[in-house]
Amino acid sequence: MPFPRSTAASHFVAGMSGTIERFTNENLACKLLDIGVRPGSRLRLVRKGPFGGSWYVKIDQQCLALRKQELACILIK
Amino acid sequence: MANPGTSDFSITSPVVGLVGNPNSGKSSLFNLLTGLRQRVGNFPGVTVEKKSGVMRIENLPPVEIIDFPGAYSCYPTSLDERLVVQELTNPKGDLFPDAIVYVADVTKLDKHLLLFTQLRDLDLPMILVLNMADLIEEEGLQVDVTGLSRRLGVPVVAVSARANKGVSELKKAIADLLRNPQEFRPEEPFYEPGVLARDVLGDLRQELPARNDYHALLLAHHASWLKHVPEKTRHKVQEARVKNGFHSLRAQVEETMERYDTFEPIVRDTVRRAKNKSSFSERVDDILTHRVFGPMIFVLIMLLLFQALFAWTGWPMEGIEWFFETLGNTVRENLSEGWFTDLLVDGIIAGLGGVLVFVPQIAALFLFITILEEVGYMARAAYLFDSLMQRFGLNGRSVVALISGHACAIPAIMSTRTIANWKERLLTIMVTPLTSCSARIPVYVILISFAVPKGTFFGFGYQGLAFAGLYFLGIISAMLSALIFKLVLKSRERSFLMLEMPDYRTPVWRNVGITVWQKVKSFIMEAGKIILLISIVLWGLSTYGPSGAMEEARAQVQKTVEEQGLSDDDAADLLASEQLEASYAGHVGKFIEPVIQPLGYDWKIGIALFTSFAAREVFVGTMATIYSIGSADDELRIRDRMAEEINPRTGEQVYNPATAWSLLVFYVFAMMCMSTLAVTKRETGGWKWPVIQFTFMTALAYVSAMVVYQVLS
Ligand SMILES: Nc1nc2c(ncn2[C@@H]2O[C@H](COP(=O)(O)OP(=O)(O)OP(=O)(O)O)[C@@H](O)[C@H]2O)c(=O)[nH]1
Ligand SMILES: [Mg+2]
Repeated sequence: MPFPRSTAASHFVAGMSGTIERFTNENLACKLLDIGVRPGSRLRLVRKGPFGGSWYVKIDQQCLALRKQELACILIK
Repeated sequence: MANPGTSDFSITSPVVGLVGNPNSGKSSLFNLLTGLRQRVGNFPGVTVEKKSGVMRIENLPPVEIIDFPGAYSCYPTSLDERLVVQELTNPKGDLFPDAIVYVADVTKLDKHLLLFTQLRDLDLPMILVLNMADLIEEEGLQVDVTGLSRRLGVPVVAVSARANKGVSELKKAIADLLRNPQEFRPEEPFYEPGVLARDVLGDLRQELPARNDYHALLLAHHASWLKHVPEKTRHKVQEARVKNGFHSLRAQVEETMERYDTFEPIVRDTVRRAKNKSSFSERVDDILTHRVFGPMIFVLIMLLLFQALFAWTGWPMEGIEWFFETLGNTVRENLSEGWFTDLLVDGIIAGLGGVLVFVPQIAALFLFITILEEVGYMARAAYLFDSLMQRFGLNGRSVVALISGHACAIPAIMSTRTIANWKERLLTIMVTPLTSCSARIPVYVILISFAVPKGTFFGFGYQGLAFAGLYFLGIISAMLSALIFKLVLKSRERSFLMLEMPDYRTPVWRNVGITVWQKVKSFIMEAGKIILLISIVLWGLSTYGPSGAMEEARAQVQKTVEEQGLSDDDAADLLASEQLEASYAGHVGKFIEPVIQPLGYDWKIGIALFTSFAAREVFVGTMATIYSIGSADDELRIRDRMAEEINPRTGEQVYNPATAWSLLVFYVFAMMCMSTLAVTKRETGGWKWPVIQFTFMTALAYVSAMVVYQVLS
């Protein structure tokens, strides 16, 4: 299932994927860029964590744990 | 230390730094190169401190190898990463390397080259190691090593630190580079400071003690926290930043994006990967990180841990017990009777035996936790509990500290360096010692036998359940304390999770074995030393007393014996207890007795509490020494000696269930480990937090133990 146009990654449910367009928070952008997440990367929400709040995410080849607030700064197209 | 261009190592030995992203195998490689045994684990951020060792290569002086913590880039977010930038931007520092061995995970080259290009722009002689070469085939990769070397302008060596392949080639490459550091100078930088940085650089380039533009840029970014930048320069940098409207974050984003654009084509041309399919790790994670099953499996794993502690350690423990009993008997038979034999057999051998009996359990605990780390489960545990932890003011990464704190609080506190948020890190440091470390096992086991009757409940032993309950109490109290600290401390600093999930790996059993052996060895050595020391000191303190006091006690006993016509045995016992009371140790015990009476303790227990504040494993040894003195019988087991102890006032057993429970609760909570306090002081940078930690834990212990005793008695 594709994401609709340019929406924050936090708005979606498990199983959705899309391409990262840009980041909306510089502080987070720096950290995400450092671990290899960048515009153009494929992002897929694999599953939601227990107790809510965190997500198991696959970005390109890499599996990451991200919080909801962190996903909110990632715009997907 | 050396500047590029000198290959003269006649004065000092060359320094080579192992740098790279977290979890790329630096420490594994370090162990191969130096023959040392640095901790390895499948989790980003195992190494949090620099560690150095020596490598020998023919025709070169010994080379000092430094294993750095992993870092993602020259823009660090946590303490362990800062160390890397701190040392690599300080050409005058002792640790500034003459060459860098950059360790990259070949399966993640598209990410791991970011830091590589940054260090390369600092103009340091470098070698690129493509580690995990054993996975190239498995993952269907094709890597053009010569092409990479040509495009990146550095020697490239494919290595497998796990299979010990390519290490001799790497050594040769290091030797060649050290002999001729000029050979691979970069022709042009990967990145030229862009518009956002140009103005500030223009102002500062001359002011800063920088090797080149990029070095200057990093100093401009990080001057505020780099230790080697003098205060005056810091001010200048700050002024220039304000004047030119330098926006550090924006400049960083620009730089990073540009770097990716530069090296991405290189990786695309030289590394070809097969169609990506969902990997083995992902399929495992479908279950292990499942919303519902994940936490359940976690709890199961922890239950298994307790099972391992109890069920699988029975016979080696009996073996050790038998050994110490035999040793004690043999020594007593072969030495002449006297105070020295008593000290040796009843104090030292019994005290050591009392703790060493628990080595199998402690080893099982370390084994279990090491396997969890090696497999790659810790990152999953951090993910599973991040949200829950946040509610208590902690971070998902705190789980790693809280789990490993069950083995020992010291490495657990060190591991918090990977938590970037200061408040979360501080809270984790403060509450980790509340989890029941392995040194508490001996105390728990001995006291539980007084507190809980033998017997079973639906197949579970009461004593085993009580044991698990104490661990649970430790965890719950850690979480609740964190919650209280969270409400008291204010902080607006942002907190992050952003954790990589490393692929699952079969543990290298050799590494696991060595890690466990090292931990157990150091436990035996440390516990042995302190028990020996305390036994001797305590023996001295309980044999001698203030002048006159001992004689008086003896005369008093003499009189009582004559008046009441006591038997020889009773007389000896009375003499022993009166003498202990009159001794220095007795004075200490008597001095604190009023304070601990509401908890159900007598002055003898007071002595044990007092010595336990040095290190809690001393408890058993102290019991051995105190209850050995005078008594004519030859009970070797400390438990049996304690069971015989009668309160002279009430005529009841001293170790009744109420007192035993009260002591147990006291030992769950009390901060009785000098080494942990020392680590807290170092990690928090002052006396404030260790003092608070000691006070709150000990107060908690005191109040809870009092409540428990008053309710039960
Ligand atoms: N398959 C494979 N695994 C390896 C190799 N080298 C290291 N590993 C594994 O990779 C994991 C990380 O190794 P470490 O040596 O601890 O990595 P590090 O770079 O020191 O990690 P940090 O200290 O966290 O930065 C461990 O589980 C190792 O067993 C290799 O060549 N092949
Ligand atoms: Mg390491």
